[in-house]
Amino acid sequence: MKPLLLRLEPVIWLLFGAGIMLGTILLPGYLLTMGLGVPLGVLPAEALSYERLHGMLSHPIGGLVFRLVALALIALPLWKAAHHLRSLSVDFDGHDRDGLVGGVLYLIALAGSVLGILAVIRL
Amino acid sequence: MSRPVNPRAMAPARAGRTRTAAPSVPDRFWSAPRMRRYLLFDATGITYLLVGLSILRVVWALGSGPEAWQTVLRQFRSPAYLAFHALVLLSVVYVGVRFFGLFPKAQPPKIGPASPPPGPVLTAMLYAAWAGATLVLVLVLGGVLP
Repeated sequence: MKPLLLRLEPVIWLLFGAGIMLGTILLPGYLLTMGLGVPLGVLPAEALSYERLHGMLSHPIGGLVFRLVALALIALPLWKAAHHLRSLSVDFDGHDRDGLVGGVLYLIALAGSVLGILAVIRL
Repeated sequence: MSRPVNPRAMAPARAGRTRTAAPSVPDRFWSAPRMRRYLLFDATGITYLLVGLSILRVVWALGSGPEAWQTVLRQFRSPAYLAFHALVLLSVVYVGVRFFGLFPKAQPPKIGPASPPPGPVLTAMLYAAWAGATLVLVLVLGGVLP
C-alpha cells in the first residue's frame, strides 16, 4: 500500500491542501447557522425550512453553487482529516503501520467524497 | 529515555564522511508545549472527519424529503449536537489561525513570473476571505439573503 500512497501523493496533497484551506474557510458559516444559530433560536427556523432550501436548489445558478458548496463541505474536511490523522499515527511510532492506516483513512475520504457527489446529485 | 525511530527517515541519499548518531525521539516528546500545539493541529482531523460525515448525512437527508430533513433539524437541537458543533467550531478556528499564520512562510519566492504578496498582505487576504465567506454563508443560510 505504501508505494501506491507515494505515487498518489500529489493528488492526496492537492485534496489535503484544498481541505485545510477551503474546508476551514467554509465550515464556520455552516456551523454558525446549521449547527448553532438555528438550533439555539438565534436565527429564524424558517431560514432552514425544507421549502426554502429546495427553492434555492431550483435556481439555475444558485442551485449549482449550493451543490458545489455542499460537496466541498462534505469532501474537503474528510481529506484534511485523513491526512492529518495519518500524520498523527506516524508521530506516535506508526511508521510500520503507515501504509495500512493511510490506506484506510484515504479510502474513508474517497468513499465519503463519492457519497457526497451522489448526495448533491440527488438533491 | 528515548526510543529509536526510522533510522532512514532523515538520512541523506549518500552517506557523508561524518558519522552521525541514529535519530531518536524522546519518550515524552508530546509533553513539550510546541509539540502539543502541533499534535493538537493534527488531532483536529478527528473533528473534521466527524463533521464531514455529519454534513454528508445532512445533505443526504435534504435529498430524502421533508421528514428526513425535520429529523436532522430536531436532532441538531439536542445538547450533544450543540456541544459537538461548538467543539468543531473551536477546532476550525484553531486550524484557521495556525494555518493562515503558516501559509505565507510556505510560499515559494516566485510563482511563474510573479512574486507572492508580502506575508502580512497574504495573511490579511486569507482572513478577509475567511470572514467574507463566513458572512455570506451566514446571511444565505440564516435567511437574510437572497
